[in-house]
Amino acid sequence: MILTVARYGRPLALGLAAVWLCAGPVLAQSGPSTEKLALCSACHGEDGNSKMEKIPSLAGQPAFFILNQLFLMREGVRKVEAMAPIVKDLKDEDLDALSKHFAGLPAKRSDETADPELAKKGAKIAQHRRCDSCHQPRLVGKEQMPRLAKQRIDYLSQSLKEFRDATRAGGDTAMSANLAGTSDADLAALAHYCALL
Amino acid sequence: MSISSITQRGLLIVAGFALLTTLALAQQVPVPVRAGPPGFSPMDQTKVDKSGQKADLSPHPVSPTVTPVDKLPLDKIKLPSGFKIEVWSSGHPGARTMVMGDKGTMFMGSRTIGRVYAIVDKNGKREVKTLLSGLTQPNGLAFSKGSLYVFAINRVFRYDNIEDNLDKAPEPVELTKAYNLPDTVHHNWKYVAIGPDGKMYVQVGSNCNICETNPGIHGQIRRYNLDGTGQEIVARGIRNTVGFDWHPVTHELWFNDNGRDWAGNGGPEDELNRVPKDMEGASFGFPYCHAMGIPDQDIKRPNPCAGIVMPAALTGPHVAGLGLKFYTGDMFPKKYKNVAFIARHGSWNREQKAGYDVVMAKVSGARATVAPFMEGLLNTEKNEFYGRPAYLFQMKDGSLLVSDENNGAVYRISYDNKNAKQAAR
Repeated sequence: MILTVARYGRPLALGLAAVWLCAGPVLAQSGPSTEKLALCSACHGEDGNSKMEKIPSLAGQPAFFILNQLFLMREGVRKVEAMAPIVKDLKDEDLDALSKHFAGLPAKRSDETADPELAKKGAKIAQHRRCDSCHQPRLVGKEQMPRLAKQRIDYLSQSLKEFRDATRAGGDTAMSANLAGTSDADLAALAHYCALL
Repeated sequence: MSISSITQRGLLIVAGFALLTTLALAQQVPVPVRAGPPGFSPMDQTKVDKSGQKADLSPHPVSPTVTPVDKLPLDKIKLPSGFKIEVWSSGHPGARTMVMGDKGTMFMGSRTIGRVYAIVDKNGKREVKTLLSGLTQPNGLAFSKGSLYVFAINRVFRYDNIEDNLDKAPEPVELTKAYNLPDTVHHNWKYVAIGPDGKMYVQVGSNCNICETNPGIHGQIRRYNLDGTGQEIVARGIRNTVGFDWHPVTHELWFNDNGRDWAGNGGPEDELNRVPKDMEGASFGFPYCHAMGIPDQDIKRPNPCAGIVMPAALTGPHVAGLGLKFYTGDMFPKKYKNVAFIARHGSWNREQKAGYDVVMAKVSGARATVAPFMEGLLNTEKNEFYGRPAYLFQMKDGSLLVSDENNGAVYRISYDNKNAKQAAR
């Protein structure tokens, strides 16, 4: 948990650390999913819409996408330090239940300020890169492909860079190919566009 | 200009540089945009609008969870008369490549799930162990002299004496530096095989759907000494081959190559290629020329198909031929001897799905003709599929194993003359 606190470095994180510490033993007993949910909600938001910097919103994500990512994190393929201790003891049934829960929640815009001008530029890039062919019209996601609409700008900007630079272990390699040659500024524009969808 | 003023200017310049350097260091050092090979555009040139295809076609997901044995689609599969299919092993999600150790352990590679399985025979039943996990798409496996070679995306490991250590894999020897593979990831989950010359043959795919690649780096099959030294280019101008084998008689290398997407539902068709013995290093056309001489619609140049080795056969549009295995066994009837079986993983970039089967290519000299073999996993009326054949393995008794990535299972195809006679009655 020290790692998490150091990483986010804000008072909120301390609070979350406390939540995690309380919820930890409950998880070990594999209690009802409401207790596991509390653990997720602490960072990803009560309603699955994250208010925390660089923490993704899960609300409205395709169930298969969430299940797959949790699985890959548990497996150690996708390496997310803060998630590793949390997913470690989750069973396949837990992954399934959590995925379905978050998939069923409505996605809401974050409280970040999206720049409409940047979003306009992002729309053109999205059209050119054909994001909608996998992520579907209005970028709502499908199966293994995540919803991008209403995702946090800071999270998405960072993720897009990781995909482009192929630094995200376990990421879909097609994303690296599709974003090859795209500048940081263009990736930020894409993130602003997605946030406002 | 006096000497002192020159010195002063020099100092100013130095100070200026120092200031700039400090400023640059104070800011976070930006990650450079992943550049393409020198002189080539890194941009994928796909134009979905020009394809005439429905724009929402997208790759199929692979389930990371286990498919129960009673849900395996065995009853759907159809084979020629006399052939029988059964479940050989199951419960290993993401099942793809298969190589066998000297002591009979079947090693199995995967993609997204990042595992390498070890499947051992215990009293006629298969026991599955997850040998390695957390790797990035360890699709490339080879076995030699007690060692398992594992090729993840652009990382290479050798596990020595592996069959005596199946409960806990030993620390591997990392050969990544020696193999010196490019750092691009797309179409670079590896397929590897040890050739008749004892060398390691390794694919290096093109990092895009359609783009200009540096033929000295990407879109190749290479060969190395097993330790990663002595790199040579065997074939160039390849989009993405993830299956190859050597003809049992001519010992020439034959390989599948998956055609580009977003150029229509009809193709360009995937290829079965042959590397003629006297033409090693030749180009097979990507990105300028596809199939039997179709110029690319998005990347153009004069005489795009000049000097290109044409395929031995076309294997179908978007069908994704993965595993390729020449049959050398004695169990199947004579007409199957030296036939190349191809596992067609099945299309995604096609409105009417195609593939999801195993076909056979009968070779005659430089050409081959493709005919159906294992069918039934695709329902063309409903446009849905029940399994995805990925790779093939010929057992010592001459039976043929087929891995099904969609269901995390391996099926065994065998032949019995009595079955054929019964069917004929």
